[in-house]
Amino acid sequence: MDSNEPMLLLSSRIGQIGDLGLDLLWRFLHIVVSLFHIVSGIFEAIQSYAISLGLIQKYSSIDIEKLRCLAVVLDIEVARDVAKVVELLQWLKTIGVKQVGLFDSQGLLKKSKDMILEMVPGSMLLQETGEKDISPDRKEGIVIEFISSSDNKEAVVKAANILLQRQLKTSHPEKDEGDNVFTESHLNEALRVVGENVHVPDLMLVYGPVRSHLGFPAWRLRYTEIVHMGSLKYMRYGSLLKAIHKFTGVRQNYGKSFSPLTWI
Amino acid sequence: MLSLLSIFFTCLALILIPCLFIFRRPSVPLFLKKAIIFIKTATSQYNDEEERYGTIEGKEKRGRMPKHVAIILDGNRRWANKRGLRVSEGHEAGARRLLEHVMDCFAIGINTISLFAFSTENWGRPDGEVNFLMAMFEKNFKSEMAYYDRYKVKISVIGRRTNMPESLLGLIQEVEEATKSYKEKHLIMAIDYSGRFDILQACKRLAEKTKNGLIQVEDLDERMIDKELMTSCSEYPNPDLLIRTSGEQRISNFFLWQSAYTELYFPNVLWPDFGEAEYLKALTWYQQRQRRFGLRV
Repeated sequence: MDSNEPMLLLSSRIGQIGDLGLDLLWRFLHIVVSLFHIVSGIFEAIQSYAISLGLIQKYSSIDIEKLRCLAVVLDIEVARDVAKVVELLQWLKTIGVKQVGLFDSQGLLKKSKDMILEMVPGSMLLQETGEKDISPDRKEGIVIEFISSSDNKEAVVKAANILLQRQLKTSHPEKDEGDNVFTESHLNEALRVVGENVHVPDLMLVYGPVRSHLGFPAWRLRYTEIVHMGSLKYMRYGSLLKAIHKFTGVRQNYGKSFSPLTWI
Repeated sequence: MLSLLSIFFTCLALILIPCLFIFRRPSVPLFLKKAIIFIKTATSQYNDEEERYGTIEGKEKRGRMPKHVAIILDGNRRWANKRGLRVSEGHEAGARRLLEHVMDCFAIGINTISLFAFSTENWGRPDGEVNFLMAMFEKNFKSEMAYYDRYKVKISVIGRRTNMPESLLGLIQEVEEATKSYKEKHLIMAIDYSGRFDILQACKRLAEKTKNGLIQVEDLDERMIDKELMTSCSEYPNPDLLIRTSGEQRISNFFLWQSAYTELYFPNVLWPDFGEAEYLKALTWYQQRQRRFGLRV
Protein backbone atom coordinates (compact mmCIF):
# COMPACT_ATOMS: atom_id res chain seq x y z
CA MET A 1 0.00 0.00 0.00
CA ASP A 2 2.71 2.45 1.04
CA SER A 3 4.73 1.80 -2.09
CA ASN A 4 1.72 2.64 -4.20
CA GLU A 5 1.21 6.06 -2.71
CA PRO A 6 4.30 7.69 -4.29
CA MET A 7 3.30 6.15 -7.64
CA LEU A 8 -0.22 7.48 -7.31
CA LEU A 9 1.11 10.88 -6.34
CA LEU A 10 3.49 10.85 -9.31
CA SER A 11 0.82 9.88 -11.81
CA SER A 12 -1.46 12.55 -10.39
CA ARG A 13 1.27 15.16 -10.79
CA ILE A 14 1.96 14.01 -14.33
CA GLY A 15 -1.74 14.29 -15.07
CA GLN A 16 -1.85 17.82 -13.69
CA ILE A 17 1.19 18.84 -15.71
CA GLY A 18 -0.31 17.30 -18.82
CA ASP A 19 -3.59 19.12 -18.29
CA LEU A 20 -1.80 22.41 -17.74
CA GLY A 21 0.25 21.91 -20.88
CA LEU A 22 -2.83 21.08 -22.91
CA ASP A 23 -4.61 24.13 -21.59
CA LEU A 24 -1.65 26.34 -22.51
CA LEU A 25 -1.50 24.88 -26.01
CA TRP A 26 -5.21 25.46 -26.50
CA ARG A 27 -4.99 29.05 -25.32
CA PHE A 28 -1.93 29.64 -27.47
CA LEU A 29 -3.81 28.29 -30.49
CA HIS A 30 -6.54 30.83 -29.84
CA ILE A 31 -3.94 33.58 -29.55
CA VAL A 32 -2.43 32.58 -32.91
CA VAL A 33 -5.84 32.61 -34.63
CA SER A 34 -6.80 35.91 -32.98
CA LEU A 35 -3.50 37.49 -34.06
CA PHE A 36 -4.10 36.26 -37.59
CA HIS A 37 -7.52 37.93 -37.61
CA ILE A 38 -6.14 41.13 -36.07
CA VAL A 39 -3.40 41.38 -38.68
CA SER A 40 -5.79 40.70 -41.56
CA GLY A 41 -8.18 43.22 -40.00
CA ILE A 42 -5.45 45.86 -40.03
CA PHE A 43 -4.68 45.17 -43.68
CA GLU A 44 -8.35 45.40 -44.53
CA ALA A 45 -8.67 48.69 -42.71
CA ILE A 46 -5.71 50.15 -44.60
CA GLN A 47 -7.11 48.90 -47.89
CA SER A 48 -10.51 50.29 -47.03
CA TYR A 49 -9.09 53.78 -46.41
CA ALA A 50 -7.17 53.57 -49.67
CA ILE A 51 -10.39 52.67 -51.50
CA SER A 52 -12.29 55.52 -49.80
CA LEU A 53 -9.61 57.97 -50.95
CA GLY A 54 -9.86 56.67 -54.50
CA LEU A 55 -6.30 55.39 -54.54
CA ILE A 56 -7.23 51.96 -55.88
CA GLN A 57 -8.50 52.41 -59.42
CA LYS A 58 -10.43 49.21 -59.84
CA TYR A 59 -12.99 50.24 -57.20
CA SER A 60 -13.74 53.56 -58.85
CA SER A 61 -16.30 52.05 -61.20
CA ILE A 62 -18.84 49.42 -60.19
CA ASP A 63 -21.39 47.71 -62.39
CA ILE A 64 -24.19 48.47 -59.94
CA GLU A 65 -26.89 47.22 -62.34
CA LYS A 66 -25.93 43.70 -61.34
CA LEU A 67 -27.03 44.44 -57.78
CA ARG A 68 -30.78 44.63 -58.04
CA CYS A 69 -31.60 43.95 -54.41
CA LEU A 70 -29.35 44.33 -51.41
CA ALA A 71 -30.13 43.08 -47.92
CA VAL A 72 -28.55 44.53 -44.80
CA VAL A 73 -28.77 42.40 -41.66
CA LEU A 74 -28.17 44.17 -38.39
CA ASP A 75 -27.60 42.61 -35.01
CA ILE A 76 -30.17 43.95 -32.51
CA GLU A 77 -27.48 45.80 -30.59
CA VAL A 78 -26.33 47.73 -33.66
CA ALA A 79 -29.86 48.28 -34.97
CA ARG A 80 -30.43 50.76 -32.12
CA ASP A 81 -27.90 53.13 -33.67
CA VAL A 82 -30.31 54.71 -36.14
CA ALA A 83 -27.88 57.49 -37.06
CA LYS A 84 -25.40 54.93 -38.30
CA VAL A 85 -28.10 53.09 -40.21
CA VAL A 86 -29.05 56.34 -41.91
CA GLU A 87 -25.40 57.00 -42.77
CA LEU A 88 -25.13 53.53 -44.28
CA LEU A 89 -28.23 54.10 -46.38
CA GLN A 90 -26.83 57.40 -47.62
CA TRP A 91 -23.62 55.66 -48.66
CA LEU A 92 -25.60 52.98 -50.46
CA LYS A 93 -27.61 55.65 -52.25
CA THR A 94 -24.37 57.38 -53.29
CA ILE A 95 -23.03 54.14 -54.71
CA GLY A 96 -26.24 53.73 -56.71
CA VAL A 97 -28.00 50.90 -54.93
CA LYS A 98 -31.70 51.05 -55.81
CA GLN A 99 -33.32 48.66 -53.33
CA VAL A 100 -32.31 47.78 -49.80
CA GLY A 101 -33.94 45.40 -47.36
CA LEU A 102 -33.09 46.30 -43.75
CA PHE A 103 -33.42 43.40 -41.36
CA ASP A 104 -33.15 43.09 -37.62
CA SER A 105 -34.72 40.18 -35.76
CA GLN A 106 -36.70 42.22 -33.24
CA GLY A 107 -38.18 44.75 -35.69
CA LEU A 108 -36.48 47.79 -34.10
CA LEU A 109 -35.87 49.38 -37.49
CA LYS A 110 -39.51 48.90 -38.46
CA LYS A 111 -40.44 51.04 -35.46
CA SER A 112 -38.03 53.75 -36.64
CA LYS A 113 -38.94 53.55 -40.30
CA ASP A 114 -40.65 56.93 -40.51
CA MET A 115 -37.61 58.64 -39.01
CA ILE A 116 -35.25 56.76 -41.32
CA LEU A 117 -37.27 57.57 -44.43
CA GLU A 118 -37.33 61.22 -43.42
CA MET A 119 -33.58 61.36 -42.86
CA VAL A 120 -32.63 59.70 -46.14
CA PRO A 121 -33.58 62.07 -48.98
CA GLY A 122 -35.21 60.42 -51.95
CA SER A 123 -36.03 57.23 -50.08
CA MET A 124 -39.36 55.49 -50.18
CA LEU A 125 -40.95 52.44 -48.67
CA LEU A 126 -41.05 49.34 -50.84
CA GLN A 127 -44.75 48.80 -50.19
CA GLU A 128 -45.46 52.24 -51.63
CA THR A 129 -43.80 51.49 -54.92
CA GLY A 130 -44.99 49.23 -57.67
CA GLU A 131 -42.61 46.68 -59.11
CA LYS A 132 -42.31 48.72 -62.26
CA ASP A 133 -40.83 51.58 -60.26
CA ILE A 134 -37.89 49.48 -59.17
CA SER A 135 -36.15 49.54 -62.51
CA PRO A 136 -32.62 50.37 -63.60
CA ASP A 137 -33.98 53.52 -65.20
CA ARG A 138 -34.80 55.08 -61.84
CA LYS A 139 -31.98 57.54 -61.52
CA GLU A 140 -32.45 58.85 -58.04
CA GLY A 141 -33.73 57.62 -54.75
CA ILE A 142 -33.59 54.37 -52.93
CA VAL A 143 -36.38 51.96 -52.07
CA ILE A 144 -36.22 50.59 -48.55
CA GLU A 145 -37.88 47.51 -47.16
CA PHE A 146 -38.04 46.90 -43.41
CA ILE A 147 -37.91 43.25 -42.42
CA SER A 148 -37.96 41.40 -39.14
CA SER A 149 -38.31 37.84 -37.86
CA SER A 150 -42.07 38.02 -38.21
CA ASP A 151 -41.44 38.03 -41.97
CA ASN A 152 -39.50 34.80 -41.74
CA LYS A 153 -40.96 31.72 -40.13
CA GLU A 154 -44.23 33.32 -39.05
CA ALA A 155 -44.88 34.42 -42.62
CA VAL A 156 -44.17 30.94 -43.96
CA VAL A 157 -46.58 29.51 -41.39
CA LYS A 158 -49.30 31.94 -42.51
CA ALA A 159 -48.62 31.15 -46.17
CA ALA A 160 -48.68 27.41 -45.42
CA ASN A 161 -52.01 27.96 -43.69
CA ILE A 162 -53.40 29.55 -46.85
CA LEU A 163 -52.26 26.61 -48.97
CA LEU A 164 -53.65 24.20 -46.42
CA GLN A 165 -57.02 25.91 -46.48
CA ARG A 166 -56.94 25.82 -50.26
CA GLN A 167 -56.25 22.12 -50.27
CA LEU A 168 -59.02 21.41 -47.79
CA LYS A 169 -61.49 23.37 -49.88
CA THR A 170 -60.74 21.52 -53.11
CA SER A 171 -63.63 19.68 -54.69
CA HIS A 172 -61.90 16.30 -54.21
CA PRO A 173 -60.23 16.46 -50.82
CA GLU A 174 -59.87 12.66 -50.73
CA LYS A 175 -57.44 12.78 -53.60
CA ASP A 176 -53.84 13.67 -52.87
CA GLU A 177 -53.65 17.18 -54.24
CA GLY A 178 -50.55 18.00 -52.23
CA ASP A 179 -48.25 18.05 -55.24
CA ASN A 180 -50.52 20.52 -57.02
CA VAL A 181 -50.91 22.88 -54.09
CA PHE A 182 -47.54 22.75 -52.36
CA THR A 183 -45.16 23.98 -55.01
CA GLU A 184 -42.59 26.77 -54.89
CA SER A 185 -44.68 29.06 -57.04
CA HIS A 186 -47.77 28.48 -54.88
CA LEU A 187 -45.86 29.27 -51.73
CA ASN A 188 -44.44 32.38 -53.41
CA GLU A 189 -47.94 33.48 -54.25
CA ALA A 190 -49.21 32.73 -50.74
CA LEU A 191 -46.32 34.73 -49.25
CA ARG A 192 -47.32 37.68 -51.43
CA VAL A 193 -50.89 37.33 -50.21
CA VAL A 194 -49.71 37.67 -46.58
CA GLY A 195 -47.81 40.79 -47.59
CA GLU A 196 -44.31 39.43 -47.94
CA ASN A 197 -41.76 40.29 -50.56
CA VAL A 198 -40.36 37.20 -52.21
CA HIS A 199 -37.50 38.79 -54.11
CA VAL A 200 -34.22 37.07 -53.44
CA PRO A 201 -31.53 39.58 -52.45
CA ASP A 202 -28.41 39.31 -54.59
CA LEU A 203 -26.12 40.35 -51.76
CA MET A 204 -26.46 40.43 -47.98
CA LEU A 205 -24.25 42.54 -45.75
CA VAL A 206 -24.18 41.47 -42.11
CA TYR A 207 -23.26 44.08 -39.51
CA GLY A 208 -22.56 43.02 -35.95
CA PRO A 209 -20.41 40.55 -34.05
CA VAL A 210 -22.15 37.42 -35.27
CA ARG A 211 -21.56 35.82 -38.65
CA SER A 212 -24.98 34.46 -39.40
CA HIS A 213 -28.06 35.77 -41.14
CA LEU A 214 -29.89 36.00 -37.80
CA GLY A 215 -33.18 34.67 -39.10
CA PHE A 216 -33.51 36.63 -42.34
CA PRO A 217 -36.49 35.22 -44.28
CA ALA A 218 -35.33 31.73 -45.14
CA TRP A 219 -37.38 31.48 -48.32
CA ARG A 220 -35.47 34.39 -49.84
CA LEU A 221 -31.94 33.25 -49.09
CA ARG A 222 -31.33 30.64 -51.74
CA TYR A 223 -28.45 32.12 -53.75
CA THR A 224 -27.71 35.25 -51.78
CA GLU A 225 -24.06 36.17 -51.32
CA ILE A 226 -23.45 36.75 -47.62
CA VAL A 227 -20.67 39.06 -46.49
CA HIS A 228 -19.84 39.85 -42.89
CA MET A 229 -18.92 43.53 -42.57
CA GLY A 230 -18.02 43.77 -38.89
CA SER A 231 -19.14 46.51 -36.57
CA LEU A 232 -21.68 49.10 -37.77
CA LYS A 233 -20.16 51.65 -35.41
CA TYR A 234 -16.80 51.42 -37.19
CA MET A 235 -18.10 50.80 -40.67
CA ARG A 236 -16.01 52.07 -43.56
CA TYR A 237 -17.09 53.32 -46.97
CA GLY A 238 -14.16 51.55 -48.59
CA SER A 239 -15.19 48.19 -47.13
CA LEU A 240 -18.70 48.71 -48.43
CA LEU A 241 -17.42 49.54 -51.92
CA LYS A 242 -15.11 46.54 -51.85
CA ALA A 243 -17.90 44.14 -50.84
CA ILE A 244 -20.20 45.39 -53.60
CA HIS A 245 -17.39 45.39 -56.16
CA LYS A 246 -16.47 41.82 -55.23
CA PHE A 247 -20.08 40.75 -55.63
CA THR A 248 -20.26 42.20 -59.14
CA GLY A 249 -17.36 39.94 -60.06
CA VAL A 250 -18.97 36.77 -58.72
CA ARG A 251 -20.27 34.24 -61.22
CA GLN A 252 -22.79 31.74 -59.97
CA ASN A 253 -23.47 28.43 -61.65
CA TYR A 254 -26.57 27.75 -59.53
CA GLY A 255 -25.50 24.16 -59.08
CA LYS A 256 -25.16 23.43 -62.78
CA SER A 257 -22.08 23.34 -64.96
CA PHE A 258 -21.38 25.84 -67.70
CA SER A 259 -17.68 25.34 -68.15
CA PRO A 260 -16.29 22.86 -70.65
CA LEU A 261 -14.29 20.87 -68.09
CA THR A 262 -13.36 17.34 -69.00
CA TRP A 263 -15.12 15.30 -66.41
CA ILE A 264 -14.07 11.79 -67.26
CA MET B 1 9.04 22.15 -11.91
CA LEU B 2 5.57 22.99 -13.11
CA SER B 3 6.77 26.34 -14.39
CA LEU B 4 9.60 24.72 -16.32
CA LEU B 5 7.28 22.28 -17.97
CA SER B 6 4.85 25.07 -18.79
CA ILE B 7 7.65 27.01 -20.47
CA PHE B 8 8.65 23.89 -22.38
CA PHE B 9 5.11 23.34 -23.70
CA THR B 10 4.78 26.98 -24.66
CA CYS B 11 8.03 26.88 -26.66
CA LEU B 12 6.89 23.70 -28.36
CA ALA B 13 3.63 25.38 -29.28
CA LEU B 14 5.49 28.45 -30.58
CA ILE B 15 7.28 26.26 -33.07
CA LEU B 16 4.73 23.68 -34.04
CA ILE B 17 1.31 25.31 -34.06
CA PRO B 18 2.05 28.07 -36.60
CA CYS B 19 3.38 25.32 -38.87
CA LEU B 20 -0.13 23.90 -38.97
CA PHE B 21 -1.28 27.04 -40.72
CA ILE B 22 1.70 27.37 -43.04
CA PHE B 23 1.79 23.83 -44.34
CA ARG B 24 -1.54 22.57 -45.59
CA ARG B 25 -0.54 18.96 -45.29
CA PRO B 26 1.49 18.63 -42.11
CA SER B 27 4.07 15.91 -42.29
CA VAL B 28 3.09 14.79 -38.79
CA PRO B 29 -0.62 13.99 -39.00
CA LEU B 30 -0.43 12.02 -35.79
CA PHE B 31 0.53 15.16 -33.89
CA LEU B 32 -2.31 17.00 -35.54
CA LYS B 33 -4.84 14.39 -34.44
CA LYS B 34 -3.50 14.74 -30.95
CA ALA B 35 -3.78 18.51 -31.27
CA ILE B 36 -7.43 18.14 -32.11
CA ILE B 37 -7.97 15.79 -29.21
CA PHE B 38 -6.24 18.13 -26.80
CA ILE B 39 -8.44 20.99 -27.81
CA LYS B 40 -11.40 18.87 -26.89
CA THR B 41 -9.82 18.02 -23.56
CA ALA B 42 -8.91 21.63 -22.86
CA THR B 43 -12.33 22.94 -23.66
CA SER B 44 -13.90 20.27 -21.48
CA GLN B 45 -11.67 21.43 -18.66
CA TYR B 46 -12.53 25.03 -19.38
CA ASN B 47 -16.20 24.16 -19.22
CA ASP B 48 -15.80 22.23 -15.99
CA GLU B 49 -13.93 25.04 -14.29
CA GLU B 50 -16.44 27.62 -15.36
CA GLU B 51 -19.34 25.53 -14.16
CA ARG B 52 -17.57 24.80 -10.86
CA TYR B 53 -16.70 28.40 -10.15
CA GLY B 54 -19.75 29.93 -11.79
CA THR B 55 -17.94 32.16 -14.24
CA ILE B 56 -20.24 31.52 -17.18
CA GLU B 57 -22.06 34.75 -18.07
CA GLY B 58 -25.09 34.54 -20.24
CA LYS B 59 -26.13 31.77 -22.47
CA GLU B 60 -23.48 30.52 -24.88
CA LYS B 61 -21.30 33.57 -24.15
CA ARG B 62 -18.33 31.74 -25.61
CA GLY B 63 -18.61 29.04 -28.22
CA ARG B 64 -17.60 25.56 -27.23
CA MET B 65 -17.35 22.64 -29.59
CA PRO B 66 -20.25 22.65 -32.01
CA LYS B 67 -22.74 19.83 -31.66
CA HIS B 68 -23.73 19.95 -35.32
CA VAL B 69 -21.40 20.93 -38.14
CA ALA B 70 -22.75 21.30 -41.68
CA ILE B 71 -20.38 21.37 -44.64
CA ILE B 72 -21.00 22.44 -48.24
CA LEU B 73 -18.37 20.47 -50.14
CA ASP B 74 -17.50 22.96 -52.84
CA GLY B 75 -14.49 23.08 -55.12
CA ASN B 76 -13.88 19.53 -56.39
CA ARG B 77 -14.13 20.53 -60.03
CA ARG B 78 -11.98 23.62 -59.67
CA TRP B 79 -9.43 21.56 -57.74
CA ALA B 80 -9.24 19.12 -60.65
CA ASN B 81 -9.05 21.94 -63.19
CA LYS B 82 -6.15 23.60 -61.34
CA ARG B 83 -4.17 20.36 -61.55
CA GLY B 84 -5.10 19.50 -65.10
CA LEU B 85 -7.04 16.47 -63.89
CA ARG B 86 -10.44 15.16 -64.87
CA VAL B 87 -13.46 16.31 -62.88
CA SER B 88 -14.05 12.72 -61.77
CA GLU B 89 -10.64 12.75 -60.10
CA GLY B 90 -11.60 15.93 -58.30
CA HIS B 91 -14.75 14.27 -56.98
CA GLU B 92 -12.75 11.22 -55.87
CA ALA B 93 -10.28 13.42 -54.02
CA GLY B 94 -13.24 15.16 -52.39
CA ALA B 95 -14.70 11.83 -51.29
CA ARG B 96 -11.39 10.81 -49.65
CA ARG B 97 -11.22 14.14 -47.82
CA LEU B 98 -14.79 13.63 -46.66
CA LEU B 99 -14.03 10.36 -44.91
CA GLU B 100 -10.99 11.82 -43.15
CA HIS B 101 -13.06 14.72 -41.87
CA VAL B 102 -15.89 12.57 -40.63
CA MET B 103 -13.43 10.52 -38.57
CA ASP B 104 -11.77 13.64 -37.13
CA CYS B 105 -15.07 15.33 -36.30
CA PHE B 106 -16.46 12.39 -34.38
CA ALA B 107 -13.16 11.88 -32.57
CA ILE B 108 -13.34 15.33 -31.01
CA GLY B 109 -16.91 15.01 -29.83
CA ILE B 110 -19.05 16.53 -32.57
CA ASN B 111 -22.34 14.70 -32.52
CA THR B 112 -23.81 15.45 -35.95
CA ILE B 113 -22.19 16.16 -39.30
CA SER B 114 -24.26 17.16 -42.31
CA LEU B 115 -22.74 17.06 -45.76
CA PHE B 116 -24.26 18.79 -48.77
CA ALA B 117 -23.17 16.16 -51.26
CA PHE B 118 -25.59 16.77 -54.13
CA SER B 119 -28.18 19.51 -54.56
CA THR B 120 -31.40 19.32 -56.56
CA GLU B 121 -29.89 21.90 -58.92
CA ASN B 122 -26.93 19.57 -59.58
CA TRP B 123 -29.19 17.39 -61.76
CA GLY B 124 -28.59 20.07 -64.37
CA ARG B 125 -24.96 18.98 -64.72
CA PRO B 126 -23.82 16.79 -67.64
CA ASP B 127 -25.36 13.31 -67.52
CA GLY B 128 -21.95 11.70 -67.38
CA GLU B 129 -20.94 13.66 -64.30
CA VAL B 130 -24.26 12.99 -62.55
CA ASN B 131 -24.03 9.26 -63.27
CA PHE B 132 -20.46 9.22 -62.02
CA LEU B 133 -21.48 10.94 -58.76
CA MET B 134 -24.37 8.52 -58.17
CA ALA B 135 -22.04 5.58 -58.78
CA MET B 136 -19.50 7.11 -56.41
CA PHE B 137 -22.09 7.48 -53.65
CA GLU B 138 -23.02 3.83 -54.14
CA LYS B 139 -19.41 2.71 -54.03
CA ASN B 140 -18.70 4.72 -50.87
CA PHE B 141 -21.77 3.46 -49.04
CA LYS B 142 -20.76 -0.14 -49.83
CA SER B 143 -17.11 0.30 -48.90
CA GLU B 144 -17.76 2.28 -45.71
CA MET B 145 -20.68 0.26 -44.33
CA ALA B 146 -18.33 -1.79 -42.12
CA TYR B 147 -16.71 1.39 -40.78
CA TYR B 148 -20.06 2.94 -39.87
CA ASP B 149 -21.06 -0.25 -38.12
CA ARG B 150 -17.78 -0.61 -36.26
CA TYR B 151 -17.76 2.99 -35.02
CA LYS B 152 -21.52 3.10 -34.43
CA VAL B 153 -22.22 5.98 -36.78
CA LYS B 154 -25.86 6.53 -37.60
CA ILE B 155 -26.39 7.33 -41.28
CA SER B 156 -29.30 9.37 -42.57
CA VAL B 157 -29.78 10.47 -46.15
CA ILE B 158 -32.02 13.47 -46.66
CA GLY B 159 -33.31 14.69 -50.00
CA ARG B 160 -35.97 14.01 -52.59
CA ARG B 161 -35.01 10.48 -53.69
CA THR B 162 -37.34 10.60 -56.70
CA ASN B 163 -34.59 10.71 -59.34
CA MET B 164 -32.02 8.49 -57.69
CA PRO B 165 -31.08 5.13 -59.23
CA GLU B 166 -32.90 2.17 -57.67
CA SER B 167 -29.64 0.49 -56.68
CA LEU B 168 -28.56 3.56 -54.72
CA LEU B 169 -31.97 3.87 -53.08
CA GLY B 170 -31.82 0.26 -51.97
CA LEU B 171 -28.34 0.75 -50.52
CA ILE B 172 -29.41 3.90 -48.66
CA GLN B 173 -32.32 2.05 -47.08
CA GLU B 174 -29.99 -0.78 -46.10
CA VAL B 175 -27.43 1.54 -44.49
CA GLU B 176 -30.08 3.58 -42.67
CA GLU B 177 -31.73 0.44 -41.35
CA ALA B 178 -28.43 -1.10 -40.23
CA THR B 179 -27.35 2.02 -38.32
CA LYS B 180 -30.62 3.42 -37.02
CA SER B 181 -30.03 2.35 -33.42
CA TYR B 182 -26.78 4.32 -33.02
CA LYS B 183 -27.11 7.61 -31.19
CA GLU B 184 -23.85 9.32 -30.35
CA LYS B 185 -22.55 9.91 -33.85
CA HIS B 186 -24.78 10.94 -36.70
CA LEU B 187 -23.79 11.50 -40.31
CA ILE B 188 -26.41 13.18 -42.48
CA MET B 189 -25.83 13.06 -46.23
CA ALA B 190 -27.89 15.56 -48.20
CA ILE B 191 -28.36 14.06 -51.67
CA ASP B 192 -30.84 15.69 -54.07
CA TYR B 193 -31.57 18.17 -51.29
CA SER B 194 -33.13 21.61 -51.61
CA GLY B 195 -33.82 23.91 -48.68
CA ARG B 196 -36.97 25.23 -50.29
CA PHE B 197 -38.22 21.74 -51.01
CA ASP B 198 -37.53 20.82 -47.37
CA ILE B 199 -39.82 23.65 -46.21
CA LEU B 200 -42.47 22.69 -48.79
CA GLN B 201 -42.50 19.02 -47.89
CA ALA B 202 -42.82 19.95 -44.20
CA CYS B 203 -45.87 22.08 -45.05
CA LYS B 204 -47.28 19.23 -47.13
CA ARG B 205 -46.84 16.71 -44.32
CA LEU B 206 -48.65 19.06 -41.97
CA ALA B 207 -51.41 19.38 -44.54
CA GLU B 208 -51.75 15.59 -44.53
CA LYS B 209 -51.95 15.53 -40.74
CA THR B 210 -54.61 18.25 -40.82
CA LYS B 211 -56.59 16.34 -43.43
CA ASN B 212 -56.44 13.23 -41.24
CA GLY B 213 -57.56 15.19 -38.20
CA LEU B 214 -54.30 14.73 -36.30
CA ILE B 215 -53.80 18.47 -35.91
CA GLN B 216 -55.96 21.55 -36.27
CA VAL B 217 -55.23 24.25 -38.84
CA GLU B 218 -55.28 26.88 -36.08
CA ASP B 219 -52.51 25.05 -34.21
CA LEU B 220 -50.03 25.31 -37.06
CA ASP B 221 -46.86 27.10 -35.95
CA GLU B 222 -43.08 27.22 -36.49
CA ARG B 223 -42.34 24.39 -34.11
CA MET B 224 -44.60 22.09 -36.06
CA ILE B 225 -42.74 22.91 -39.26
CA ASP B 226 -39.42 22.33 -37.43
CA LYS B 227 -40.56 18.81 -36.54
CA GLU B 228 -41.50 17.96 -40.12
CA LEU B 229 -38.26 19.11 -41.75
CA MET B 230 -35.91 16.41 -43.02
CA THR B 231 -33.40 17.31 -40.30
CA SER B 232 -35.84 16.26 -37.60
CA CYS B 233 -34.08 12.87 -37.80
CA SER B 234 -31.27 14.47 -35.78
CA GLU B 235 -31.05 15.24 -32.07
CA TYR B 236 -29.46 18.55 -33.14
CA PRO B 237 -31.37 19.60 -36.27
CA ASN B 238 -29.99 23.16 -36.45
CA PRO B 239 -26.31 23.36 -37.30
CA ASP B 240 -24.06 25.39 -34.99
CA LEU B 241 -21.43 25.87 -37.66
CA LEU B 242 -21.76 25.82 -41.44
CA ILE B 243 -18.59 25.62 -43.50
CA ARG B 244 -18.60 26.26 -47.24
CA THR B 245 -15.26 25.74 -48.88
CA SER B 246 -13.83 27.30 -52.06
CA GLY B 247 -14.38 30.90 -50.95
CA GLU B 248 -17.96 31.19 -52.22
CA GLN B 249 -20.01 33.10 -49.69
CA ARG B 250 -23.53 31.72 -49.96
CA ILE B 251 -25.49 28.77 -48.66
CA SER B 252 -26.99 27.80 -52.02
CA ASN B 253 -30.35 26.43 -50.91
CA PHE B 254 -28.89 24.36 -48.06
CA PHE B 255 -30.61 24.39 -44.63
CA LEU B 256 -32.41 27.67 -45.31
CA TRP B 257 -34.81 27.26 -42.38
CA GLN B 258 -32.35 25.59 -40.03
CA SER B 259 -29.48 28.06 -40.38
CA ALA B 260 -31.00 31.17 -38.77
CA TYR B 261 -28.38 31.33 -36.01
CA THR B 262 -25.74 29.16 -37.57
CA GLU B 263 -22.24 30.60 -37.66
CA LEU B 264 -21.20 30.81 -41.29
CA TYR B 265 -17.57 30.14 -42.15
CA PHE B 266 -16.36 30.61 -45.74
CA PRO B 267 -12.70 29.63 -46.05
CA ASN B 268 -10.97 30.30 -49.32
CA VAL B 269 -9.81 26.71 -49.74
CA LEU B 270 -11.09 24.13 -52.20
CA TRP B 271 -12.73 21.11 -50.57
CA PRO B 272 -10.06 18.49 -51.42
CA ASP B 273 -7.48 20.86 -49.88
CA PHE B 274 -9.50 21.45 -46.70
CA GLY B 275 -7.11 19.63 -44.40
CA GLU B 276 -6.65 19.25 -40.69
CA ALA B 277 -5.10 22.69 -40.29
CA GLU B 278 -8.05 24.41 -41.94
CA TYR B 279 -10.42 22.36 -39.86
CA LEU B 280 -8.59 23.27 -36.66
CA LYS B 281 -8.76 26.93 -37.67
CA ALA B 282 -12.52 26.66 -38.31
CA LEU B 283 -13.16 25.14 -34.90
CA THR B 284 -10.94 27.66 -33.13
CA TRP B 285 -12.74 30.45 -35.00
CA TYR B 286 -16.07 28.97 -33.91
CA GLN B 287 -14.97 28.88 -30.29
CA GLN B 288 -14.33 32.61 -30.44
CA ARG B 289 -17.79 33.49 -31.71
CA GLN B 290 -20.32 35.10 -29.42
CA ARG B 291 -23.61 33.45 -30.22
CA ARG B 292 -26.82 35.14 -29.24
CA PHE B 293 -29.66 33.29 -30.96
CA GLY B 294 -31.38 36.62 -31.64
CA LEU B 295 -31.38 37.66 -27.98
CA ARG B 296 -29.73 40.63 -26.31
CA VAL B 297 -26.60 39.95 -24.33
